[in-house]
Amino acid sequence: MKARRVLAVTKRVFRGFKHDRRAVGLLLFAPILAMTVFGIAFAGNITNISVIIVNDDVGVSPAPNATPVKLSEQFIGSIDKHVLSIERSDNMTSAVAKVRDGRSWAVIRFPANFSAAVMGRVPTTITIKADKSNQQVYVAILKALRDGSDKMMQKSGYKMPINIDDKDAVYGKNAEFSDFLIPGVITFAIFLLTTLLTMLTFTTERVNRTLDRLLATPATEVEIVLGYALAFGIIGTFQAIILVSYGVAAFHILIEGSLLLAFLITALLATTSQALGILLSSASRTEAQAVQMIPLIVLPAFLLSGIFWPLEAMPSWLRPFSYALPPTYAAQGLRSIMIRGWGIDRVWPQLLAIVVFLAFFLALASLSLRRRR
Amino acid sequence: MSAVIVRGLVKVFDGLRAVDDLDLTIEKGEVYGLLGPNGAGKTTVIRILVGLIKQTSGDARVLDRPAGEKELANRTGYMPQELALYDMLTVDENLDLFADLYEMERSRIGPRKLEVLRFVALEDRRDSIVYQLSGGMRHRASLAVALLHEPELLFLDEPTVGVDPELRAGFWENFGRLKASGTTVIITTHYMDEARHCDRVGLMHRGRLVAEGPPDEVVARAGARDLEEAFLKLATTGAGKLPAARASGGVRP
Repeated sequence: MKARRVLAVTKRVFRGFKHDRRAVGLLLFAPILAMTVFGIAFAGNITNISVIIVNDDVGVSPAPNATPVKLSEQFIGSIDKHVLSIERSDNMTSAVAKVRDGRSWAVIRFPANFSAAVMGRVPTTITIKADKSNQQVYVAILKALRDGSDKMMQKSGYKMPINIDDKDAVYGKNAEFSDFLIPGVITFAIFLLTTLLTMLTFTTERVNRTLDRLLATPATEVEIVLGYALAFGIIGTFQAIILVSYGVAAFHILIEGSLLLAFLITALLATTSQALGILLSSASRTEAQAVQMIPLIVLPAFLLSGIFWPLEAMPSWLRPFSYALPPTYAAQGLRSIMIRGWGIDRVWPQLLAIVVFLAFFLALASLSLRRRR
Repeated sequence: MSAVIVRGLVKVFDGLRAVDDLDLTIEKGEVYGLLGPNGAGKTTVIRILVGLIKQTSGDARVLDRPAGEKELANRTGYMPQELALYDMLTVDENLDLFADLYEMERSRIGPRKLEVLRFVALEDRRDSIVYQLSGGMRHRASLAVALLHEPELLFLDEPTVGVDPELRAGFWENFGRLKASGTTVIITTHYMDEARHCDRVGLMHRGRLVAEGPPDEVVARAGARDLEEAFLKLATTGAGKLPAARASGGVRP
């Protein structure tokens, strides 16, 4: 194997990009676009959910003729008004009719004895008549109410019988959903773009017969594959640097661990993805056929790699498929590094898994270039 | 001494015999034309000789080594029918890539690039990106790449397809100059009229050689006016090889 020939192939890939602004745009801006879209669409909290509160609470008067104290109002005052946009109503029937018409998501009703019950430490029930057609909205309403209740209890000095204190977290003390999501977006963007780009580039190499011409030189299959691997490894690292910087600047993502380790994982993922792209290109005779294979790459990665949903959310019979996909390990590794702050001593299993995939795919990609019998 | 020796060569694709028991001998220093209609098996023969595919059976030797050996790559040049250039690179960058792949001496690369560019009259377009070039210029650039590492044996697969008559004449002039410099040139073409420029031609039909020899001889033996008519006669009689075909080896320049 000659380094000069490997580097010549690498240089060829970069020189191609020099004249092909569209491809460069795809490589640099598509990941940023992906992160922006996912970051804003998924990671942002749900706000402005319109709800109606029917407050039947009569309150408790501290002395005869004094204004009654209504703990329900303290509760309502403690609700985050960014999340819930609150409308008042005295009439339960008309309030529910509004939900039925789709003009509101839920009616929240405080019972007449609310304040008395809380003060007397007697169980009481807040009734919610909700439109549960959108679970995410519903969960956000419940969370806003729970947070409001906690705040109210704290302010008024009434203690709940059971308290759960999760403030001292083992990992991800200040983590938000975006911190979970963005390592997944990085994994997804790099895996997808690199696989697609190499698959299409290599299909073109086959269709235009430049691959034949390369193979007619002293260059070996392994040298050609390694030349590509080097190019896309470098590009993948570069994309990771851009994405992480952008994630920090725009979404304030957590980075508890070593950035270098995170870049190593993304570079290995990019190299693995390009080998997979070369491999997949051997199944296509034309660029059009290659394009038809895109869903075959996107869907498993999107659905099974635990990139956007935890693996635990998947039925157990599907898990083996998840563990057969390189992005699964990259996402796990990146999350452990970025949120848990783990070092190489603890993410080595993920790193090893990607290296094994890399070696396997590189070997298969080289074999796929061998002359046909 | 022979540049190419092929004996009993067979290549089967999905049950179709693309090359069917082919015997072929090409001498060093000659311009040899492998002629035949599309689908006759010419490209398959070239691809086997270059080492891109393996024969089903039979023997193929190039410059005294089994076809496909990597050691041969430095001594042979190949211009595929599809031109096989990187469209997004300049002509010069295409040449750079292959100079590195052939591990040319670094001090030799600059002067040699200029030589081949002059040879194909493309020195003023060396910095143009390939996709901006006209069809004829791309053909010339593709030939330049094949010539870069000074191969002693050149495989040119349909180098003149889709090229205008003027440029085709220029190409054949180039091939003559290569021959004069001692290079063996093996060309496939389905333009029968071009073949008169070759020292010898082999007429292929359905994977077999139906006639071989200097163009004039082949025409005369078939009792035809030109190669085209000779081919049509030979193909329709389906006679297989002419008895004299193999014996006419002594046409070397």
